[in-house]
Amino acid sequence: MIEIESVTKSYGLKRALEGVSLTLPKGQIVGLFGENGAGKTTLMKCILGFTRFSGKITLDGEPISHKNIDRVSFATSEHSFFPNLTATAHKEFYQMHFPRFSEKRFNALMDFFELPRHSPLRQFSTGQKNQFEVIMALCQGADYILMDEPFAGNDVFNREDFYKVLLGILEPFETVLLATHLLEEVQSFIGRAILIHQGKIVGDVSTLELDEAGKKLMDYVRETYNYRPDRVGKALSDLTSEK
Amino acid sequence: MRMNLKRRLAPCAPPGVDLGQELSWLACGGIVSLLYSFQFFIRYAKHYEQLFLWDGISRVLDTSAVMPDFVDILGGSLSGFQVLALSMVALAVYHYAYHFQGSKSIYLMKRLPDRWELLRRCITLPLLGALACLCASALVLLTYYAIYMTFTPPACLAPGQWQRIWSLLPGVPV
Repeated sequence: MIEIESVTKSYGLKRALEGVSLTLPKGQIVGLFGENGAGKTTLMKCILGFTRFSGKITLDGEPISHKNIDRVSFATSEHSFFPNLTATAHKEFYQMHFPRFSEKRFNALMDFFELPRHSPLRQFSTGQKNQFEVIMALCQGADYILMDEPFAGNDVFNREDFYKVLLGILEPFETVLLATHLLEEVQSFIGRAILIHQGKIVGDVSTLELDEAGKKLMDYVRETYNYRPDRVGKALSDLTSEK
Repeated sequence: MRMNLKRRLAPCAPPGVDLGQELSWLACGGIVSLLYSFQFFIRYAKHYEQLFLWDGISRVLDTSAVMPDFVDILGGSLSGFQVLALSMVALAVYHYAYHFQGSKSIYLMKRLPDRWELLRRCITLPLLGALACLCASALVLLTYYAIYMTFTPPACLAPGQWQRIWSLLPGVPV
């Protein structure tokens, strides 16, 4: 279980995260939602130890360090592969560093997405690059898979395929933390939604609870963010009304 | 041989970096440094000529003349190698910056279980390059010293040349 306790992170005077506390148990698919700059990426970077922060983040009671970092993988829309290497060379690199790398899963996913194995990744399309990024995160053999806007730039069919594959291949002990704006697309396969707003956790709900309450994820988000539906109408009316 | 070298060095360089190009640049830098060091011969020839007097058409050694010290003739001849060694710092910086080019592969490198992998891949080649520069400059220095000692007439040699070489090292009193 990843435990995040009172994590605060500032960039200069700007507070990116403020007292964030949550737990990520094994075997959940968690959606992390929030506006641009809400702190989703910063939270993931804190978990991975890419940035300094105050507070505490542990993995099964131990701080996340080089000793247990192989249990956490990361897929980002910024991409973390080597553009000059081929897919096969990446596989070899991962196998060298991550002993639990799943070659079987790698081969299956590469075949499914029909990605070229012997072309440098810089020659891939944006969609293919995103797919490859997620494939590597899924094949590393990690228990916790962090994904930060992994489908930015992919078309809707592509994304749908991916959701299906993701649901089909995940083991019961694997946890996915998925930061995305595509609420409506992912609501059917996530088990829990965490809302982050201006660096604070403002909502944390299981989709089961939402189902029982007869609510849709989007309604929950609107409620949590105090979204005013009349806002657009009022703004348009203010703009178009005659003095 | 070049392919073999590239294969051997690949685990010491950032994944996917153009090792062939880096080795070519290093070799070019070495050649330019060596050519630059040839100014030693120009200086040496000039001072060597001054050891002789002309008696009509024949050249006679001026036994009262003293050849300037080896280190003075050497001057900055080896500075090309020093500059090349210093440029290895830039190569290390480039290796680190490489992980931000076209993607953020730095994220992958930073989350490898082997915490030294990133450092190793960034600095091994620059360190080897700097070491190669040091060895090359030492070799050139010894070669030029041997030429100086062999061709300078003994009567014109000032004593203590070898000791004075150590003055090239900063902080070593002579």
